[in-house]
Amino acid sequence: MAALEIEHVEKTLRSGQSVLRDVSFTARDGELLAVVGPSGCGKSTLLRLVAGLDSITAGVIRIGGRTVNEVPPQQRDVAMVFQNHALYPHMTVYENLAFGLRVRGTPRTQIDRRVRQTAAQLGLEAMLKRYPRELSGGQRQRTALGRAMLRNPALFLLDEPLSSLDVPLRAELRRELAALHRSLGTTMVYVTHDQSEALSLGQRMVVLAGGRVQQIDTPINVYHRPANRFVAGFVGWPPMNFLTAESFDDGARVPAGASGLEYGVRPESFSTQAGGPDDLQLAGRIERIESQGSECHIELTQRFGRVLARLRCEKLPRVGEQIRLWVRRSDLHAFDRTNGQRVELMGLERSGPRPEERTQ
Amino acid sequence: MSLQNRTLRAGTYLGLAVLAGATLFPLLWVTSIALMRAPEAAAGTPSLWPHHPTLVNVINIISRQHLGRYFFNSLVVAIATMALSMLVAGSAGYGLARVEFRGRRMVSWLVMLGVLIPNQALVLPLFEMFRTVHLVNHYAALVLPAAANPVGIVLVQAYMRAIPADILDAARIDGASEWRIYRSIVVPLMAPMLAAVGVLIFVVSWNDFMWPMIAMQQESMQTLPVALAAIDREHYQDIGLMAAGATMTMLPMVFVFLASQRYYLRSVIAGSLTD
Repeated sequence: MAALEIEHVEKTLRSGQSVLRDVSFTARDGELLAVVGPSGCGKSTLLRLVAGLDSITAGVIRIGGRTVNEVPPQQRDVAMVFQNHALYPHMTVYENLAFGLRVRGTPRTQIDRRVRQTAAQLGLEAMLKRYPRELSGGQRQRTALGRAMLRNPALFLLDEPLSSLDVPLRAELRRELAALHRSLGTTMVYVTHDQSEALSLGQRMVVLAGGRVQQIDTPINVYHRPANRFVAGFVGWPPMNFLTAESFDDGARVPAGASGLEYGVRPESFSTQAGGPDDLQLAGRIERIESQGSECHIELTQRFGRVLARLRCEKLPRVGEQIRLWVRRSDLHAFDRTNGQRVELMGLERSGPRPEERTQ
Repeated sequence: MSLQNRTLRAGTYLGLAVLAGATLFPLLWVTSIALMRAPEAAAGTPSLWPHHPTLVNVINIISRQHLGRYFFNSLVVAIATMALSMLVAGSAGYGLARVEFRGRRMVSWLVMLGVLIPNQALVLPLFEMFRTVHLVNHYAALVLPAAANPVGIVLVQAYMRAIPADILDAARIDGASEWRIYRSIVVPLMAPMLAAVGVLIFVVSWNDFMWPMIAMQQESMQTLPVALAAIDREHYQDIGLMAAGATMTMLPMVFVFLASQRYYLRSVIAGSLTD
């Protein structure tokens, strides 16, 4: 078990293209850290750098306090689960699991014991003699996980491990993965492009975009206090609405910062009734109602753009009619127009947790 | 299965049967003639089936024409060429496909160029080279130039490119050394393609005529096709004897193909099977 420290890491390709710029963060010992970002943000590259499969251009990577910049992947004591599983196609499940131990010269009886133990843990006992091509997607993923677990590494790296699976299976394996992390207690770095996966799985999450770290915090804090406009729009589904002061009925009452603020409101922050005298109001014509079963997504148009609201489906006006919505002032996010950074609106109680980082 | 499918399938098999028959017919006829006595074989058009099968032609060509010696030469050269070129194609193809090094593109390009140059154009410089190093009339003269067969390298390279690099990275993280990865992962994965390359090289080496004729001037070092051509010039009227020589020349190829068919076919259809 070990912490992963990444300090000022840069990666520039031979073509001169910069993939990672001044990336710093720490995955604490035993933590499940989710790294999330849109495709092409450099998150997979980051994982390959930690694993030692690619070399860093500048910075320091430490695993368990040991600087590993020059250490080859064979000696980094990390295990990695690949997006496409990367099982050895010519080996049975048993051989796939055993390969890492065999290479390290572990005695045969010990290999056998550990392979069977891990297989039992993952429900793969009956599959040991099968080849990867004879397995279902979930079984392949479990085998890939088992291969990583067997070596008892200091650090687990998971590169979009669930993205090739269908939705129900993904949810099931997500639960299993969280349980696995609890029982193993090993540090895990989990890379995904799916913000909901990062929110639900990570103890903390790193939001990466354009090769830079945008925010590092607990999922709840990232959701309720996004550090900038990018994070605000990327995390949460449906995405946050971005509005100007004019969108609201009484623009003057919108808490003003310096000139040039943009306001963010999450779709679920809207309500069809006033909650208090300070609530802000906006109105618009309903363009579309999409039922999600328990709730409805309502798209309305205003002079200043479109707004998406998540409301209970009862007693809603029809498409084409006007609707009036209320937002608590404390649910308003504000971002600087010039640099997109979050601006704290002074004197307002926030509904989310305090700014201090939650410890687990 | 619907009627339409059945008809289609029947048609396919019929077509394949006709093609197979067209391919096999001359081989079987030559074998049949090899088993005929002289008068029967020498008839204007020899019959399709030997009425009094005999091994006299086979015995004659082995005992009187030293065919055994030429057969042995051909076999040594073909096996050595096959083994060596599988080794070269395996490592070079893997290296060019999956190992990063300076000038890789240049080397790939040069290998490609090697595919385009006809062997006949190389005969003269090759002969000069081998004479200089005193390897004319030596097995090495036939084995060495064929060992680095560019076609084999290009085939293995293309095949290795289709294998996900993640598998090799997974092995690296599992702790395997580069040599171990080559031995335990790469070689088993490219085995079908290597088998195909091996068969191809064996056949090319076995059938090669021009270069062996030039490089092996001493009679005892000649290979089967060259020796057979010499026998033909001397005994062109003895059709049974020639047929026996031809049959013995093609038999090993049939065995090589049958033995490696399982791997060979796997590599040919590999492209159609995802996973």
